[in-house]
Amino acid sequence: MNATSSQPFALQGLDLSRVYGGFRALDGVAISVPKGEVRGIIGPNGAGKSTLMDVLSGRAASWGGTVRLGGRDIGALSPRERRQAGLARSFQKTNVFAELTIDEQIRLAARSVEIDNSAEVLDKLELTALRSRLAADISYGDRRRLDLALALVGRPQVLLLDEPAAGLTVEESLAMARLLRDLALEWQVTVLLVEHDMEVVFGISNRITVLHLGKVLAEGTPDEIRSNPVVVSAYLGSSVE
Amino acid sequence: MTSLPEKLIGAAAPRPLDAQRSKLPLLLALVVAVGGCVFPFVVTSTLTLSLLTQALIGAMLATGVGFLVRQNGMVSFGHALFYGLGGYILGVLVSRGIVPIELALILAIVVPTVLAFVLGLVITRIPGVAFGMLTLACAQAFYELALKVRGLANGDDGLAVTFPARIFGVPVSLLQDPHSMFVICWVVLMIALGSLWLLMRSHYGLLTFAIKANEERARFIGYETLVPRAAIYAISALLAATAGVLATFYNAFISPDMLHWTLSGSALIMAIIGGTKAVWGPALGAVVFFFIKEIAGDATEHWPAVIGGILIVVTVFVPIGLSGLLVRVFSGRRA
Repeated sequence: MNATSSQPFALQGLDLSRVYGGFRALDGVAISVPKGEVRGIIGPNGAGKSTLMDVLSGRAASWGGTVRLGGRDIGALSPRERRQAGLARSFQKTNVFAELTIDEQIRLAARSVEIDNSAEVLDKLELTALRSRLAADISYGDRRRLDLALALVGRPQVLLLDEPAAGLTVEESLAMARLLRDLALEWQVTVLLVEHDMEVVFGISNRITVLHLGKVLAEGTPDEIRSNPVVVSAYLGSSVE
Repeated sequence: MTSLPEKLIGAAAPRPLDAQRSKLPLLLALVVAVGGCVFPFVVTSTLTLSLLTQALIGAMLATGVGFLVRQNGMVSFGHALFYGLGGYILGVLVSRGIVPIELALILAIVVPTVLAFVLGLVITRIPGVAFGMLTLACAQAFYELALKVRGLANGDDGLAVTFPARIFGVPVSLLQDPHSMFVICWVVLMIALGSLWLLMRSHYGLLTFAIKANEERARFIGYETLVPRAAIYAISALLAATAGVLATFYNAFISPDMLHWTLSGSALIMAIIGGTKAVWGPALGAVVFFFIKEIAGDATEHWPAVIGGILIVVTVFVPIGLSGLLVRVFSGRRA
């Protein structure tokens, strides 16, 4: 947890805090993710997972601490600037442009980062055949992949995914998990993944950070987390035994 | 499920990348654009042409209001500010002989546009009704200024503007004759509509449409969202200022009525009646508005009630407006 900027971390959040009224949603959270790693973030509702994503991505309005992308302090940057610096995110609720075609929105995303790998992204996410369809007219699973595609255009260094498997069927969730794992390997994208589906998180994460009441409860490999008695009693129970 | 073609009703949706768009609407638009120029040779009634010229000026204002609704999703209750400001800048500068008429014309269009952009950087941050109220407040502030500062343009009495004989070598009298002014207003309106049509199909048009649809996502795919929204507000103000300039040339008169909220409201009603999805919808609404006003005005002094009734009918039964209805009828789809 005592990571410094000299270490080759793709993404670092140091001493992160965020307070809503009197409630400390994040309380001194530190997280350092090496390049190419898939880091799962788990925790019960209210643990601070989505707040952590908001702070890292620049969505949160007021917060404390330091956020570094590849060693560069990006704490003062807007979401737009963070995106252009190589930090992309997807959302818990599908967040696409319903009235635009898939092609239009992918091209918009590509133009903002000046790297047009839209064809590659569409192909990878199996959206090529749907490119002329409006986002409003495609299935929920396709919209989740489109949401991910919008984040992947331009090959970001770091990808923040807030419950990418939410609302998907078991098969779709597993397909999404495989896709994320492949992307991390092939494109060397660092992934920070918040997800309630334990099968997905434990299946693809290199390491897992457990949040509880706004603090880091534990961090380790999936096997270490599974066998951590504190985590088991606080969150996992026997579901992943 | 709605099919793709249904989503692409004519100019109703911004499909800059849709290569399969029919060329028929373009051809029709070209015929209408050229046809309008020969209209004064067919209709020789000065009264009718004068009414239509006023309608075209109103159409320009309504197009500005409608464009703001379409691209930004914002409803302005104060576009009379830019209409009146354009008219006042032209009228006062020319009447007082402060600058040459050509420069006054340029300033009358540029100043309201720049003002709108700066104002837009502040007020387009604010969504919904609050935005509408802010536009209303700004317009009413200028209205009060024009009303109370008599030294500017005689306050409530207004100012009869005396123009020099020529502007850019063209006799100003052409701008006050219904026959020639109709053609001038028609050409200006066609240029404006064509430019907006192209803008809507450009990257910038797509971006502003995307920002309207989902501003947060637009930020997270790497776009600044405030400046594009302020720019759209400025473009809509440019159209309003152009309308104000045309009105000042045609009427050779400026008064605080040009800044009053009722004018902003009328422009909004025109845009709603015509529909805002198609770029030409508000202009159609303006022509319908002026004819209803004329016909109902002959029958009763309570003509605004007739307009109100039509507005209710359109809002409830044809929320896509007359332009949307026409597109559906002519493309064989259900209204």
